[in-house]
Amino acid sequence: MAGGHAHDAHDDHGDGPEVLSVSDKNPRVRTIQVKRPTPAESSYLAATAKGLGVTLKHFVKNTFSRRKNTYIETIEYPEQKFEYPERFRGLHRLMHRDDGAVRCVACMCCPTVCPAHCITIVPAQTDDNGIEKYPATFEIDELRCVVCGLCVEACPCDAIRMDTGIHAKPVEERHEAIMTKDLLLELGARSTAVQGGEGADWRGKK
Amino acid sequence: MTLTIDGRQITVPKGTNVLEAARALGIDISAFCYHPGLSIAACCRQCLVSVEKNPKLQPSCQQTAGEGMVVHTTDPQSTHARKQMLEFTLVNHPIDCPICDKAGECTLQKLYFEHDNADSRVDVPKIEKPKVVDLGPHVVLDAERCILCTRCIRVCDEVAGVHELEMSQRGSHQELGTAPGARLENPYSLNTVDVCPVGALTSKDFRFTMRAWELEATPSVCNGCATGCNTEIHHKNDRVWRLVPRHNPDVNKYWMCDEGRFTYHGLRDDRLAVPTIEGLPATWDRALARAAEQLKAALKSPAQVAVVLSAQHSNEENFALAKLAAAWKVTNVFVSASAPAPGRADAILRDADVDPNARGVQAIAGAAVKPFAELEAGINTGAIRAVVALGDALALGDAAQGRLHELDALIVLAWREVGAARAATVALPIAAWAERGGTITNRAGVVQRQHAAVLPPGQAVAGWEALVRLAQATGASLSKTAWSHPREVHKDMVAAVPAFAGSQWGREARPIQLRFANSRG
Ligand code: SF4
Ligand code: SF4
Ligand code: SF4
Ligand code: SF4
Ligand code: FES
Repeated sequence: MAGGHAHDAHDDHGDGPEVLSVSDKNPRVRTIQVKRPTPAESSYLAATAKGLGVTLKHFVKNTFSRRKNTYIETIEYPEQKFEYPERFRGLHRLMHRDDGAVRCVACMCCPTVCPAHCITIVPAQTDDNGIEKYPATFEIDELRCVVCGLCVEACPCDAIRMDTGIHAKPVEERHEAIMTKDLLLELGARSTAVQGGEGADWRGKK
Repeated sequence: MTLTIDGRQITVPKGTNVLEAARALGIDISAFCYHPGLSIAACCRQCLVSVEKNPKLQPSCQQTAGEGMVVHTTDPQSTHARKQMLEFTLVNHPIDCPICDKAGECTLQKLYFEHDNADSRVDVPKIEKPKVVDLGPHVVLDAERCILCTRCIRVCDEVAGVHELEMSQRGSHQELGTAPGARLENPYSLNTVDVCPVGALTSKDFRFTMRAWELEATPSVCNGCATGCNTEIHHKNDRVWRLVPRHNPDVNKYWMCDEGRFTYHGLRDDRLAVPTIEGLPATWDRALARAAEQLKAALKSPAQVAVVLSAQHSNEENFALAKLAAAWKVTNVFVSASAPAPGRADAILRDADVDPNARGVQAIAGAAVKPFAELEAGINTGAIRAVVALGDALALGDAAQGRLHELDALIVLAWREVGAARAATVALPIAAWAERGGTITNRAGVVQRQHAAVLPPGQAVAGWEALVRLAQATGASLSKTAWSHPREVHKDMVAAVPAFAGSQWGREARPIQLRFANSRG
């Protein structure tokens, strides 16, 4: 994997948009060909009429239909609560070791797999030579999270889970939606997964 | 020597081993202990192949190619043997991948996925060995992860020329450690981390900071001394995380020194990110206007103006400044250089000259350059009233340093806000070596290209561009064709300076994502 992997910034072929020119100051800044809407499209007249048509259709359906299940369902929140489906995941949590320390070893598998890039981990070294690595900070931006659960799938040590069933709270400021390591650990509990696997005689236990 | 490997013929020079011959054919035989830059130990047996007329399997790293030899690498016997060797290597290997720094660029991981990819059949406890062993100032050992390939021992013995690492015990209990009374503290110690095929040796500097698969690699050249070792800058999100050597048979082979690896730290501290006037931040327009005003007054008599080139900066930057001096009709041209460090010089790579481009700037300045002492005297007597300097390091004596603030103009183009950049009347922020394209000339006269890996901070621009702006502000012209890219500066320089004849700018390198690259080590 030596050098020599040269590409001229100007001969850029591919399926992407047509590159008209590349900035000399910063090769990552390009001028590209974009498709602009026609005047008819940008007046939005047709699109507005179409949208109002949908509204009208639902209005008529909800007002005059006799079958109950075509009505729009309205819940009188907060007196009445919405019943979540059984597989609803909810907020993340970080699991504990037997001694209450964080199970996460800052392997970076979850931030790598996360499609929303919403997990931020700063790793550091522990005094425990058997563990070596732990997250000094662990933050999840719940506003950016797309609730895909891939982080849970990626974790090699049952450190992160999405099984609290708690709906993300409404916040006034964006930064309030970032869950810190302390918050995540507060929701966590001791994991029943065996530290370091089942041991050498795992076949006998099965 | 013409031999046949897997039914394909290849001719190789005498003495080539079968493994290299196969690689030339694009056949990658698995290997741990073989390294093209080291002697052959043939102790891992991961490279076994069948050679016709030979009853036993042969290690292809040790087997030299013979005339008419017929080698098979995909026959059941050798495939099975290599698979078994891998399983054998894994018997005592801890599955530390989640916390192991090598994960993502590990040869053992790669070979496991290629060869075996099966569950472990071992149900006896693994042998426990020391973990987190402090081998020296820069390297940590995890003896459990070590696969006993002895590459690191050979790097110390054969490259650094010191015996600092050694094996002890036998069989499953064999263990790497420092030689009696020694520590791993030679100036090339981090090459052991590069050659280690697994994560047994890790760099304290890089450890736990970044996962290898997150990084991108851009080719560059070390800015640490006149040797100019070829490097790869590993970066992510416009921040540099480590430098590793890149193979160049003519300059540094496979290696570089520890000090050179740490030069990237300088990219993070004391950065000059905006132009300053008398130490206060200003816009480019105002800073250039102020510089032009001061310079125009001084340039009424060019003899009182001095221009200082820098051996720390690229050929293109120095050439642009030399052109500017000529356009201003300034003949007081000096070159600032760092004090040599004779203590670091050795016969391996490290040079006493810690400036990366002394030869290049010499070629550009030519005979016109005046001894630095004259600048010092000029400042002390007041004969020099204005100085335009590239770089923050003006190696002046105390008296002249003290009189810098009496100058009518001190225009400094620098990437760090230290030294002369602090004393400047106008300081212009320029990109550092990892942030701009450019060439530097090493001690042997080889012109090598550095590529821009990351963006410069704040409002800093490439040095040649800052000089174009300064020239425009003072009404001077640097070139008949307006420069818009360093390749144009380079082209003009090759035409103007005979020492660069034949030098070519080459293509722009795009970063390679390490997650799509091969294993390293
Ligand atoms: S659930 Fe998906 S989006 Fe949310 S943190 Fe996990 S991986 Fe990222
Ligand atoms: S995948 Fe698990 S162990 Fe790895 S960083 Fe994420 S939470 Fe921590
Ligand atoms: S520490 Fe690494 S390079 Fe040294 S013998 Fe062990 S595996 Fe090989
Ligand atoms: S020998 Fe010089 S050029 Fe090579 S890595 Fe060390 S400092 Fe850099
Ligand atoms: S690579 Fe040939 S024996 Fe190790």
